[in-house]
Amino acid sequence: MIFFLIVAVSLFFALVAQQFIGPLPWLHGSRVLLMPIVLFYGALAFPFWAMLILAFLAGFMWDALTVQIAFARDIGTGQTVATNVEISLGWSILLYAALGSLMIGFRPLFQRGRWEVHCLLSGVLTSASVLAEYLMITLRRGDLIFTKEVWWRIGGSGLVAVVLAPFCFFIFNSIAESVGYETRPRKKKEAE
Amino acid sequence: MRRYNIAALVVFIFMVGALFALTPRNTQKVQSAFLGMISPFLKTGSGLQQRVVAFHEGLKTLQQLEQDNKTLLVENAQLRTGLSYLRDLEGENNRLRHALEYRERAAFNLVPARIIARDSSTWWNTVRIDRGIDDGVEIDMPVLTEDGLVGKTTAVAGSSSTVVLISDENCKVAATVEGTQEQGIVKGERTSSGLQPQISLIFLSKNANLKPGMRVFSSGAGSVFPAGVSIGVIKEFRKRELDGYATIVPSVDLTTLEDVFVVFGKK
Repeated sequence: MIFFLIVAVSLFFALVAQQFIGPLPWLHGSRVLLMPIVLFYGALAFPFWAMLILAFLAGFMWDALTVQIAFARDIGTGQTVATNVEISLGWSILLYAALGSLMIGFRPLFQRGRWEVHCLLSGVLTSASVLAEYLMITLRRGDLIFTKEVWWRIGGSGLVAVVLAPFCFFIFNSIAESVGYETRPRKKKEAE
Repeated sequence: MRRYNIAALVVFIFMVGALFALTPRNTQKVQSAFLGMISPFLKTGSGLQQRVVAFHEGLKTLQQLEQDNKTLLVENAQLRTGLSYLRDLEGENNRLRHALEYRERAAFNLVPARIIARDSSTWWNTVRIDRGIDDGVEIDMPVLTEDGLVGKTTAVAGSSSTVVLISDENCKVAATVEGTQEQGIVKGERTSSGLQPQISLIFLSKNANLKPGMRVFSSGAGSVFPAGVSIGVIKEFRKRELDGYATIVPSVDLTTLEDVFVVFGKK
């Protein structure tokens, strides 16, 4: 429970931290996305129901920060009122839950103490989340544009995630050990 | 699947459904509440970031300091020379402004604000400023610098607000081109090559005789942005099937922006 809370709070601080990391000029302006890496670690370390909670938190926070609302001035009162939400609050929750569920499929390997595949997968899924965002925007605004820059930004965030994931996983595994949380079932540990 | 996994899934679907069912007004309230919650962390982070940058910049070698000193001496001499010329220009400028009543048009009530964080998302262009409802900021207020237009406020919390930049595809500004009758809409490009955001001027007439270097100003139509604020200069103009299209270099460097002003209306 303590470790779950630590990971949940880490999601928030990862989101805050990534606000201060600018786009990477040597990766065509790709962004460093820390929060998805924490989420994907959570998907590996916790059971399905806990992953859903983390996906809900991550998706909610992300949408609350990025959702764009259109406003119009009410002619009668002269006040500005919200008229339309471009992409509904909550869609990132579904996206993260879907990606987290994919990650959970690789949990048995993680429980055997192998996590190189998962680090790689974190990158792939981070890119998938950026691509999904782009497709959602395209769906709303029209004009399906896929330039080299778009692909770089999608892939670049994934590449950065691949590099950062091992450090992130190592730190969380160490914390899990220090608070006595078993990321690997005892039976499997003993069998090894 | 275990029972409590199914139960969690049902609760999860119900909660996501509830979020999807939110009206735009309630979504706005949720967004403002979350912005209010996160803003103390963003402000603290921004302060830390500034300290780290200041410390990093302070670490200069003796050679760098000597070089800086030389550069500053040259700059000083250049500035002194330019100052007398500028004084003449200032007088002339004031006269012309008076004649055109430009001062009256461009005189806004401005509230200074500092950028505390930038959006970390790939496809949206927003920044967060350290002014909010407590300072009188409301939704849809224009944000600018002395160089030109920056964007407008969208989500507003107690002591911070989100500003959607003119480089965002969703921030549209009615604009006019200097020295012509051309009117159009300025909007950001979804993707731009490199780090510099690109903005474009659309819905121009096909026969618009626009040349690179012509300045683009807000026209004031739409009542959100005041008229006469510089947006940028035309980089390229081309004819499309139905309209004319121009790419614009923004007047304000949106990537290095630190301080802005929120426009509270005319004086």
